[in-house]
Amino acid sequence: MECVVQGIIETQHVEALEILLQGLCGVQRERLRIHEICLKSGPNLGTVASEVRILCNLEQAEPSWTVRHVGGAMRGAGAEQISVLVRTMVEAKASKNVLRMFYTLGYKLDHELLRVGFSFNFFRGAQITVTVSSINKMLKLHATDEAVPVTPGIQLVEVTAPATAETYTEVASAMSSFCEYLAPLLHLSKPGISTGVVPTAAAAAASLIQETDEFREKS
Amino acid sequence: MPVRWVLHWQPNQGTVANSQILNEVTQCVDSINAVKGSRWKATLTFYRPNLRDQNIATDFPRDFLGISLMDQPNKYFFIIRGSKVILEADSSILTIMEKLQSYKPKVALHFDGIQYKLGDFQVRLIKVAPNQAESIRGILMEVEYLPTSSVEKSRKIMEEFLDIWREIVAKRSLPGQFMFADPSYADYGLSDNYSAQHAAIQYAAALAQLIQSVQSMRN
Repeated sequence: MECVVQGIIETQHVEALEILLQGLCGVQRERLRIHEICLKSGPNLGTVASEVRILCNLEQAEPSWTVRHVGGAMRGAGAEQISVLVRTMVEAKASKNVLRMFYTLGYKLDHELLRVGFSFNFFRGAQITVTVSSINKMLKLHATDEAVPVTPGIQLVEVTAPATAETYTEVASAMSSFCEYLAPLLHLSKPGISTGVVPTAAAAAASLIQETDEFREKS
Repeated sequence: MPVRWVLHWQPNQGTVANSQILNEVTQCVDSINAVKGSRWKATLTFYRPNLRDQNIATDFPRDFLGISLMDQPNKYFFIIRGSKVILEADSSILTIMEKLQSYKPKVALHFDGIQYKLGDFQVRLIKVAPNQAESIRGILMEVEYLPTSSVEKSRKIMEEFLDIWREIVAKRSLPGQFMFADPSYADYGLSDNYSAQHAAIQYAAALAQLIQSVQSMRN
């Protein structure tokens, strides 16, 4: 299970967001370059259609592979009241032939994309991960070197934290508190609910960059 | 990890593996002053596709194997023998398969054995049964040569061990003998350096031999 919120930010303000995140988290960012391949079950396989994501981390010298299954979002009055989406999510690291295995089992390529950016992983009431990435599409099958942005000038910000049926309320609350710090630069909301870019972003970014420059000059 | 050979008991025409044969084989191991160690377990599970319409021809496998090994508790292995695919994954892949509902575990076979130490060798005598209470369906013997991980370098000494072992067992005039089905690891894309994936392939190959001998007995 995980709690998740998403938002978007203009690429020109990403540097300011990184400065803010660095200050808030106190950890170093990790570079992110992930090839994500979404597979769907072929016709006649499974009583209902299913979907699985194969992630290849290209940032490491030896690419590593992960299988991810994202389930449906939690529903009901309780879920409505909290400001984050709670959904099931299971991951398993796997050997490099995982894509071949799922193709052999009758899964078909639905779409693929390349996420390029950075992430921060830290503990703040919950184990929070913030990823800031541009989403790129491939013009040719698996050609990650020739990927082009889906939305030029806009990057996706995703905040996630692992949770259980017992802890999700506390995790959601910790995540919401953290997200308030990012509010001058971006709005974060449940996936699927687009809130656009925030009008204060330019001013907030300029102020953050200026403060950082002044700090650097003094030190 | 050290190289292992998994041998299967090939009963003579018209006979089957039973607990008396296992007792006699155990006595053979005792007679060569092997030091008895702890118990060892593995489980092999057959997965079959969950088809929406059984009458439509499909191009995916009729079944594949899932293997859990006691010495790799956080790992799970899938083997599609027809397509020569071996996958090593975190054991959370089982939860993902459960959520996908495209393939279901149908039959499980339990491998229950006792380890013996014999100089540079480690031997495991393994009873194969659908569950603890049920009678033996097959006997396996795993021979591990501790000094090397190279499949090729260990081949000669393993063959010599197998010859000596067959001679010891032959003195008891048992209705069958231990055989070694040498799997071609290169077909699965594996190197000479022995790993848990090699072990999983051997178990799958030995199981196929056991099934074949039971089927030829019935025909």
